[in-house]
Amino acid sequence: MKTTKLLAVLAALALVLAACTEAADTTTTLGDPGTTEAGAEEPTTTAGGGEEPTTTAGGQAPAGDTLAEVQSRGALNCGVNDAVPGFGFRDPDGNFVGFDIDFCKAVAAAVLGDPEAVEYVPLNAQQRFTALQSGEIDVLIRNTTWTSSRDGGEGATFAHTTFFDGQGMMVRAEDGFASIDDMANTSICSLTGTTTEQNVTDRFGDVPFELLTFEDNEVLQQAFLAGQCDGWTSDKSQLAGVRSNFPDTEGGPDALTILDETFSKEPLGPATRDGDTQWSQIIDWVVIAIIQAEEFGIESGNVDTFADTEDVNIRRFLGLEIEDDEGNVTVFESGLGLEPGWGADVIAAVGNYAEIYARNVGPDTPLGLERGPNSLWTDGGLLYAPPYR
Amino acid sequence: MDRWRAALRPALPLATNHLGGDDKVTPQLISVVTSTVAQQTARPPWWRDIRILRVVVQVAATAVIGLILYVLWFNLTNNMRRIGIELGFDFLQQPVGVSVTGSDISAGSAVWRALVVGIKNTFALVVVGLPLLTIIGVLVGVARLSTNWLVAKAATIYVETLRNIPPLLVILVAFFVGILPLPTIQDPVEIFDLAIVNNRFIAVTGFTANPGFSTFMWIMLGALVVSAIVWRWRTAVFDASGKPHHRVLWSLGVMLGLGVVGFLVIGRPFELSKPVLDGRVLTGGYSGLGGYFAMLVALVLYTASHVAEIVRGSILAVPKGQTEAANALALSGFQRLRHVTLPQAMRIALPPTINQYLNYVKNTSLGIAVGYSEVTLIAFQAVGNGRPAPQMVLILMASYLVFSLVISAVVNVLNRRLQLVTQ
Amino acid sequence: MTASDTVDIQIPEESLQPIEPGLRGWAWVRRHLVSTWYNAVLTLFMAGVFAVALWWVVRFLFVTDFEILRVNLALMMVGGFPRDQLWRPSAALIITALLIGVIAGMATASALERARQSEVEFTAAGPLTLVRRFWPLLVFIVAVLLLTQTLTPWLIAGASLVSGVGGYSIGRVLPSAVRRFGLVLVVVLLVAIYAVLSGGGIGWDQWGGLQLNVFLTVAGIALAFPLGLLLALGRRSTLPALRVASVAYIEFIRGVPLITLLLMGIFVIGFFLPSGLRPGNVTRVLIAITLFESAYIAEVVRGGLQSVAKGQVEAAQAVGLSPWKNMRLIVLPQALRNTIPAMVGQFISLFKDTTLVIIVGMIDILGASQAANAQAPFLAQGLHLVTLPFVGFAFWVGSYTMSREARRLERKLGVGER
Repeated sequence: MKTTKLLAVLAALALVLAACTEAADTTTTLGDPGTTEAGAEEPTTTAGGGEEPTTTAGGQAPAGDTLAEVQSRGALNCGVNDAVPGFGFRDPDGNFVGFDIDFCKAVAAAVLGDPEAVEYVPLNAQQRFTALQSGEIDVLIRNTTWTSSRDGGEGATFAHTTFFDGQGMMVRAEDGFASIDDMANTSICSLTGTTTEQNVTDRFGDVPFELLTFEDNEVLQQAFLAGQCDGWTSDKSQLAGVRSNFPDTEGGPDALTILDETFSKEPLGPATRDGDTQWSQIIDWVVIAIIQAEEFGIESGNVDTFADTEDVNIRRFLGLEIEDDEGNVTVFESGLGLEPGWGADVIAAVGNYAEIYARNVGPDTPLGLERGPNSLWTDGGLLYAPPYR
Repeated sequence: MDRWRAALRPALPLATNHLGGDDKVTPQLISVVTSTVAQQTARPPWWRDIRILRVVVQVAATAVIGLILYVLWFNLTNNMRRIGIELGFDFLQQPVGVSVTGSDISAGSAVWRALVVGIKNTFALVVVGLPLLTIIGVLVGVARLSTNWLVAKAATIYVETLRNIPPLLVILVAFFVGILPLPTIQDPVEIFDLAIVNNRFIAVTGFTANPGFSTFMWIMLGALVVSAIVWRWRTAVFDASGKPHHRVLWSLGVMLGLGVVGFLVIGRPFELSKPVLDGRVLTGGYSGLGGYFAMLVALVLYTASHVAEIVRGSILAVPKGQTEAANALALSGFQRLRHVTLPQAMRIALPPTINQYLNYVKNTSLGIAVGYSEVTLIAFQAVGNGRPAPQMVLILMASYLVFSLVISAVVNVLNRRLQLVTQ
Repeated sequence: MTASDTVDIQIPEESLQPIEPGLRGWAWVRRHLVSTWYNAVLTLFMAGVFAVALWWVVRFLFVTDFEILRVNLALMMVGGFPRDQLWRPSAALIITALLIGVIAGMATASALERARQSEVEFTAAGPLTLVRRFWPLLVFIVAVLLLTQTLTPWLIAGASLVSGVGGYSIGRVLPSAVRRFGLVLVVVLLVAIYAVLSGGGIGWDQWGGLQLNVFLTVAGIALAFPLGLLLALGRRSTLPALRVASVAYIEFIRGVPLITLLLMGIFVIGFFLPSGLRPGNVTRVLIAITLFESAYIAEVVRGGLQSVAKGQVEAAQAVGLSPWKNMRLIVLPQALRNTIPAMVGQFISLFKDTTLVIIVGMIDILGASQAANAQAPFLAQGLHLVTLPFVGFAFWVGSYTMSREARRLERKLGVGER
């Protein structure tokens, strides 16, 4: 009996260990082909010829072949948020939805042909860059602000901005604050470990204030609503979401005011690891494609109708055959490493920028955000797609 | 023969025992002695020799542990260097980048200063919380054994509820139910000018030091020494004559008297300072942030429920004969508790209670959930703002270790003095 | 008196008897409620407090809108588990019920046999007794069922009940020869549960909700136990190197809060591993929890080892058993039996501590309730006061049931008395 017990326990342990390594295998991502010591370099391969990997401050960036890795794995590891309404959160079924989630799907559609082939890895603010650097995720699409210190010091490369946001301050209308300078000696709530803390500290400058930081957005929200802080500082998109959902029993949206002042630029966009230029460029161009589609008027519903278009630019974009004057038929290859027609796959999967915006954060959603700076350059906004040729 | 005998002398007692006391050196004696000596000095083969095995096992174990640690260290430094995270502790001098509520840490202050403030905040929770939870725990533990059925039931419900839910939950509930519903700062509750209550802070009247305060402190120290002497004197009087010693009253009286004398002689070494709220600015008084009180209330109630269970167990473990003897002496319930039951019960209760104290200290790390700037929150903030995680975690662990060791040491001294010497 | 709080305190059985049993009616009221004037005042005051508390509870149960719980029930129970694979947790639940039934059946059969052999009165617990014993668990299951929006959970609950009862019957009728291999059966079923849950490529990194809490607890204790046993033996060893290493590890881990180890697990473990090995979040947290629990289990086991009378060891040596046989046949069986109450206490304590994973961003049941509050229809309505009590109730049910069962087991095994 005793021996049996021992054997059984050992067997169970062995099985658990076996399963453990199995689980680890399914989440193993980029394996560095031998750690490179300082001084040795491995060139990355791009279709356009070998390029040196960019180095991060203080160390050698790992040379990687993320594209091949993702394609062989068959799934994209996307670092996301799961607690920000509109951008990255879980619906009651537990599925990830949001603006950033749609961009994850777009990348998966471009690289793997299947927008659902994504492993969403929810990360908190502290671990997001460590996860990116260590290879746990392939791309970080988590309402992350593009700053120089992140480019330089966090070993991250930022792609084309998906959302031009800014940090704002939300106060109660009855307090009557018009600007930050009116808010001496007030108490301001913000989340821990994000740029919001530093930005608000910088903006207040000499004006004295108290900073209350919380780990959890929910607790912060409750504290603000109960009056523990006079102001809530965060990206304006998040504040707008809270404001538009403010229950009428508390005074409805009009009880809260978002100050006009935007005291920091928060260009949000995807981030990839330093050192894999091909992969970073792919992410770049997926974002650009989505913007470009809006410029061309291509939507998820009407991609097929463009099969006969005469516009060479659109044909190039969609990977359709182009017949020149001599009768030669070519299909445009950009050299990014993606199959021609990836543009069509992306738009068919998630739609163009206007659709993604309207679906997640637009005026008809609980967030109710106007396009503002997130409109096309032709409409006075900041979205400009470099030509695909 | 004499040389033989001298050489064999150590073995002789054995041999002569063997042969029945005969001391003469005969061939029989020699053969017996030789075999005895051989037996005594015979060594088992080295692979069965316990002395060698002990050393070998220890060396092997140390080598294995050392190897594991070395591999871990190698990986750690390698990976950190590869990603570009700094090794070493220079980051402690760099600016922390954020301000900390309720202190004068601003964005430009060094990281180590912010950590010190964090430790101070943890200390504030510990130093107020431990006595509170002991008192409440003992009261509730005694209440559980009360003959009043309602009181006993209420105490039981309190203990069984709080003991079985996670401390994080208690903290969140205390925050949402206890602190947030308090009046806002625009409309606070003021208690007779002496205290201000709102959901950001609770301020009570305090003292401010005037010049001469340090001299006053020295005088009070002297008064403490004098009252200790008075304590011993009264105890000696009691031991000698049996007259009631009233030593508590005597010592306190002496201290109070000397304090008043000192106060008058120096002329106002300290003053009452009432909290004054002007808009949002608080001056004067002692104040604690809302998060602090949420943590304090939650953790004190939570840990007190465990202590109450311990106290109940230890009161029940006091032999029944003691209770019966106390009843026979016509001691009232309260007297029995105070003179017979509790002193014996406390002796039994102390070791598990030390555990609960340490749990309390460790649970203060949950302040991060309600935004109370104790050391864990500050470490999280620093890591989120780009400071290296491994070193920060190490510093965090070290500070909690120090807390644990100090509290263990202090309470263990008390424990040792209380323990009965048993077999 | 149970578990980690009072395990060192020996309470004589006589102390647990009521002082004056048998008072009835008015005599009881006089003695217990109004024996003195201040007692009477206290009674009035407490009666008022009870009335107010009862009013709050009744109001909460009948007036509150539980929509947020209804909509997010799946999220709170299983987190982000793919919704088309929900048959897996359901199947796992049914197999768990089977497992518990079988264990209970085998235990009852063994007890009956022993009672028959020693001619002691023993009746197996009937359904009514079980309901009285496990009422918190039943209330929780009923509450969850009332919150569901489809019929499926009712069916699953029914199936679990059937499989539990079936397992009990099977366990009762198994011959004692088969019962000796009971542990093997338990292990097989546990493996089956795990296989069902993680088949189809769903690694444990995707688990969430209450399932995650339970998993972390069970896996944490299971993985920490061998390490804890080694540490306890090492601490008692006479070899200074082993003893110093064990003591250093145990005292270090016991002095730091779990949150620092979780922080280390999330951020730093990646650095300790060779590049290319990237465990998921749950794995890291599990490693941190294992390291943490092993130190506490070491202390529990050490207490158990110390509780074995020295005479036992000496007798074993006199009989000529080698140290290893001594440990295996004499010391460990007695020691491990004595550790059961403290071990259950550790289990409960770990179960409560698994909520800390929300601070490192994982969605367990508490995290799910926070996420639910962030959803658009429930935003900013202070619905924490609905979700937090539910989560608290879930934990209370688990801990209270386990600690009551541990107390019963303690009394049955006569821990501390022989």
